[in-house]
Amino acid sequence: MALGELERAVMAQLWAAPGPLTVREVHDRLDRELAYTTVMTVLGRLAKKGVVRQERDGKAYRYVAASTREQLAASLMLDALGDVGEDRTAALVAFVDRVGPEEAAALRAALQAAPAPTGLPEVPQPRTDGEERGPES
Amino acid sequence: MASVWLAVLALALAGPVPSALARARWPQRVPRAAIVLWQAIALAAVLAAVGSALAAPEELLRALGPEQRRGTAMVVAVAVAAVLAGLIVLRLLGVLLLLAVRTRRRRARHRDMVDLLDRAERSALVGGAGAKTVLRVLDGAVPFAYCVPGRAPRVVVTEAALDTLDDDELRAVLAHEQAHLDARHDLVREGFVALHQAFPVLVRSRQARDAVGLLLEMLADDAGRARCSDTAMAGALEAFLATGDTEVGARLERVRARRCGGRALATGTYLAAAAVVVVPTVGVVIPWLSVALPAAGVLR
Repeated sequence: MALGELERAVMAQLWAAPGPLTVREVHDRLDRELAYTTVMTVLGRLAKKGVVRQERDGKAYRYVAASTREQLAASLMLDALGDVGEDRTAALVAFVDRVGPEEAAALRAALQAAPAPTGLPEVPQPRTDGEERGPES
Repeated sequence: MASVWLAVLALALAGPVPSALARARWPQRVPRAAIVLWQAIALAAVLAAVGSALAAPEELLRALGPEQRRGTAMVVAVAVAAVLAGLIVLRLLGVLLLLAVRTRRRRARHRDMVDLLDRAERSALVGGAGAKTVLRVLDGAVPFAYCVPGRAPRVVVTEAALDTLDDDELRAVLAHEQAHLDARHDLVREGFVALHQAFPVLVRSRQARDAVGLLLEMLADDAGRARCSDTAMAGALEAFLATGDTEVGARLERVRARRCGGRALATGTYLAAAAVVVVPTVGVVIPWLSVALPAAGVLR
């Protein structure tokens, strides 16, 4: 199975879960034949991308989505809209270059609604290995 | 005199010319030619500024008289010219490089996130048959469509857009985005964004950037019109009009009026673009070189 699809499936489980999950729990919730280590690898990749946070729980690690699905979608939209003012990088080409104040406000509200554990992101930045945040003790 | 002429030209191409062109309406009838004209103006402005910087010290020195022309004075003059010209070129290249790196990083990041958020069940339905580019569907209440250019491009639409647009309109929007990707409009935009970042003040680079941005959208609209129909493209723009983008109004009006360039206007615009680059080179730079090079002992 494609890695992208697997990542999407794992994220779906984390978003649906009421709280942080262990690798085993994610593995069990994924309704497919997968090796435990594969799930672990995928979670590691997602953590590196900054969309998943690792939390230490005794001996095991638990994984939680860094932001809700709605927040991430809203932050992507703002990114696409170049909502960063003059800091345009022409990274994306939008059909509509700007949205009106109402839509922008709605997107920002979506970002702030149901504050994620982290506070919240623009598009979350990948963690560089050097400054890997250790598990919160 | 060459340096003075080139300086005047650089100032004109950096100020009044872009201002006038940005205000004009006719470029919207021939977006492709108009974009080429904008590029020619930008290129000519940079070349003229560099040329002026290179020519000035040499001309000053030559005016002083033949005795002072040799030796140290010549070396200093050439050095000053090189530094001035180098500053302009390096600044532009530096900004371009930094922008390219940041743009690609942000784009890769964005693509990753879009892939994670894709509503696979809906994108499979829309993108299924014969789609050239991977389509992603985001959930969200704001109707929106865009593309992520690059080696692994994505076309992204929101569920709200899917719900708002009918089939024809959606096809027009997808054709619009595909046109952006096929013609690498992002590279054109990147050039003007870099120009604006490199020379944000004094120069009318913001007008250039925004005008070219709008022209690129119109060019892509034309692709949508050609692939589908004027009606479908207008309908799509109408659906997005509610989002409050003022540019969409101008684009909608243009599609509705079926405004379409005459061949003559396009040809004239291309000729103007060529002239902007060629005439100063032939009229000023070559005459200067033919005097300066022998004077400096080259080409003797």
